[in-house]
Amino acid sequence: MLKKIQIALLLALLILVCCGEPPATNGGKPAKVYRHAMDGAPGSLDPAQAASLYANFIVVTLDDTLYRYKYLARPYQLQPNLAAAMPEISADGLQVTIRIREDVYFMDDPAFANGKGREVKAQDFVYSIMRHFDPETRAQGAWLWQNRIEGLDRWKEQGSDYDSEVTGLRALDDHSVQITLTKPFPQLIHTLTQGYAAIVPREAVEAYGQMLSNHPVGSGPFRLASRDSARAVLTRNPDFRQQPFDLADEGYDPASQANLGLQVLQDRSPPFVDRLEFEFITEDAARWNAFTAGEVHFIKVPVSQFDNVLSQRNPVTLSPGFDGMYHFEASPESGFVYTNFNMDDERLGIHPDPEQNIRNRALRCAMVKAFDWDKRNEIFFYDIGRVFPGAIIPSVPEFDPAGDASYIQRDLKGARELLQANGWDEETLPTLEYGFPNSVTERQIFEQFRNFMMDAGYPSAKIRPMIFATYGDYQRAYSQGKVTLINSSWTMDYPDAENLMQLYYGPNSAPGSNSANYKNPEYDRLYDISAAMAESPERTENYRKMNQMLIDDCVSINGISRTLLFLWDRNAIMKPDRSFLGGYFLRFVDLAEPANTTP
Amino acid sequence: MNRRYITRRVLYGIPLILGVTFVSFLLMVYFGPDKTYELLGKNPTTEQISEVRRALGYDRAFLLRYGDYLRELVTLDLGLSDSSGEPVSVILKRTLPVSIALVLPGFILGNLMGLALGLLAAWYRGKWLDKLVMSASVVGMSVSFLVIIIGLQILLCTPYGLNLFPVRGWQVHDLGSYLYYVTVPTLALVLVTLGYNTRFYRAVMVEEIERDHIRTAQAYGASPRELLFRHVLKNSLIPVLTRIMFSVPFVVISGSLLLESYFGIPGIGLVTFNAITSGDQPILKAVVGLTGVLFVLALTVNDMLYSLVDPRVAKP
Repeated sequence: MLKKIQIALLLALLILVCCGEPPATNGGKPAKVYRHAMDGAPGSLDPAQAASLYANFIVVTLDDTLYRYKYLARPYQLQPNLAAAMPEISADGLQVTIRIREDVYFMDDPAFANGKGREVKAQDFVYSIMRHFDPETRAQGAWLWQNRIEGLDRWKEQGSDYDSEVTGLRALDDHSVQITLTKPFPQLIHTLTQGYAAIVPREAVEAYGQMLSNHPVGSGPFRLASRDSARAVLTRNPDFRQQPFDLADEGYDPASQANLGLQVLQDRSPPFVDRLEFEFITEDAARWNAFTAGEVHFIKVPVSQFDNVLSQRNPVTLSPGFDGMYHFEASPESGFVYTNFNMDDERLGIHPDPEQNIRNRALRCAMVKAFDWDKRNEIFFYDIGRVFPGAIIPSVPEFDPAGDASYIQRDLKGARELLQANGWDEETLPTLEYGFPNSVTERQIFEQFRNFMMDAGYPSAKIRPMIFATYGDYQRAYSQGKVTLINSSWTMDYPDAENLMQLYYGPNSAPGSNSANYKNPEYDRLYDISAAMAESPERTENYRKMNQMLIDDCVSINGISRTLLFLWDRNAIMKPDRSFLGGYFLRFVDLAEPANTTP
Repeated sequence: MNRRYITRRVLYGIPLILGVTFVSFLLMVYFGPDKTYELLGKNPTTEQISEVRRALGYDRAFLLRYGDYLRELVTLDLGLSDSSGEPVSVILKRTLPVSIALVLPGFILGNLMGLALGLLAAWYRGKWLDKLVMSASVVGMSVSFLVIIIGLQILLCTPYGLNLFPVRGWQVHDLGSYLYYVTVPTLALVLVTLGYNTRFYRAVMVEEIERDHIRTAQAYGASPRELLFRHVLKNSLIPVLTRIMFSVPFVVISGSLLLESYFGIPGIGLVTFNAITSGDQPILKAVVGLTGVLFVLALTVNDMLYSLVDPRVAKP
């Protein structure tokens, strides 16, 4: 009897292990399938709604933008994508003319006559940008071009009629676009690299309406085969234009990139794989298990695995167990984490009484002094984040290495003295609300913050947590001025310091991105002047002055740029990137050998 | 079966559905997440905020919105997801079968094994076998679901263990692939539910075993098998049925969020969790409404089964 049971169990096990998915093929050959783990899932795949990193990753592989960044060049450099060349810009910086390539077609789709994809034209670009100003689209990218392109805001006020023309956004012919700006906007080309600016055909928008978000029609190297809450599968677009890859053109640096195996891409035309599979794995443990089991080729290493993966932190070095098994990169994020003071809150912000105003500033500065960046970095960022004073992050050229380091050094004695000198004590200190969306980590960050303040004599009961169910609810609360201490982060939209300085620009106050509601006429004046300037020593000087204003006014406890760790399979030929909503590198991913025999 | 009894049970269900949907809708509207700020771009103007609120229907009167909600539930035209723009009915159609296929084997096995172990423990109550089963149940109940999932993944799905099954995925196209993807989640589900089921069923059986009619049957010389299956199990079917029936809506609608998210299975649980965290009200409304309807249905079917198992229940 026992023997029969054993045999039955063995048979059952055999059946189970023989089960599984047959390997994918491409005309009899094993298909090249690249699997990418993402730590979140995208919402809509309509370019007009591609607000998240996750959506942008997929959108820029399905659709085309006029420009992109060179795949391998660091610092980032702009490169034409659908544009035939870099733009022609008039001497006053107000007129931008862009030529568009003539060999580009949308992928075949039933939305087109006969189901055959037609040529991408200048009118499609104009239409795609106009969609952001049509309330029906529920677009999220209008802020990039709002009040910047002549007539575009007026077009919206007049009812968003696509048959009426926008004076500042015109197709001169099928392959030329002319943009007329209301004031110089050197960042315009950067905005045209983003998923928001991806080009969609009007036929598809009219055919699918809101469902375009799940039925994308673009001209990119891949097309969407399927998508659900756990994964998205993209297959090669067989009609994608021939555009041979040129290492030198993409900014290849043999000294630092020779080990990535990218040389095999030279002169070949992307896409190089048959299928891209995005696995949306929010749980760190599951993502890590999937990676170590070889089910995905790439992972952004969860912080919980840093100890396991790294042998040392400075410089960041991979453990011997992983070295040689995987490619590895430690990449500074293009953004930062900070805690803003709500300057509209008279308890610690700007007060109509000048004396109280001085006391409030002292309170903010004392809190800045009480904050321990070393501990924050050690506990939550594995001590590999980069702490810096103000809002200019170390990865932009405007960063001043000789900046005011005292702003990020803990000075408890100074904090206590400042409080005492300005008449703040346990009785008079105001009760403050510290907001965060509900999560264990956010709660831990809050407790650490409160502890720092307690060290300087702030009563524990006077720093209260305000917890919100979702980030959206939290954002609503601080946009309505209901939160005093706003813990948040910012990821740059493009590699230009203007995108950082606008975070404290008065007109961008809540509900805008200036959640501190900082309003300093001198700061705003310098911003207005500098935002219209291209990168230059003069602009750098202005930005550094503005940064010093933020420090002098103690507007925010800032900041830290996190370091992201990437690991990827040795068979995957690529240089991953997660900056500026990223994702373009997936066009150029290749696999050394078909690696899809296990599902 | 008494037709009047059934009609009465069905009619009782209507106010129950209205009550459940009204309360849940009220909570969602006034205390649920607000999607507005998730859909806004950076630096929004007050006008843009109003536009999004209007597009989401947040500016409409509560009763009008509730009326629309009921109409959507009746017609099963549940609108479009605020996040992905996909019709909610399509999402449900795609995800419900996945969740059922995922949870059903574990649900059935967990209950059958719980019943068997419960019967065994009850029969040998106070003896070492009973103590062993109960102790094992307590251990099973004490281990976190998450630990079980991660442990099984490492043990069965990675090179650190046997590496026999996938860590995640659901590319099911035939029985073989189904077994390939469902085995580890099923094991996890059985391990986590078995302790609870066994303890519950044991308590029910012990109560039944101590009744007079069992002693009478014993006096008449009934064999242990006859006693357990014909007298004990049959007469304790009412609490057993209640437990199983009331679990059905969870199995159908909620799926198992942890299983789905850790094993990357695109079922209704994962969709619901994402809808909660992102404030996707059309999906939340559909899931809450359908769960309410399913509960009422389960209640009605449960009452009908009672009357089958014990005809005295249906007597007026």
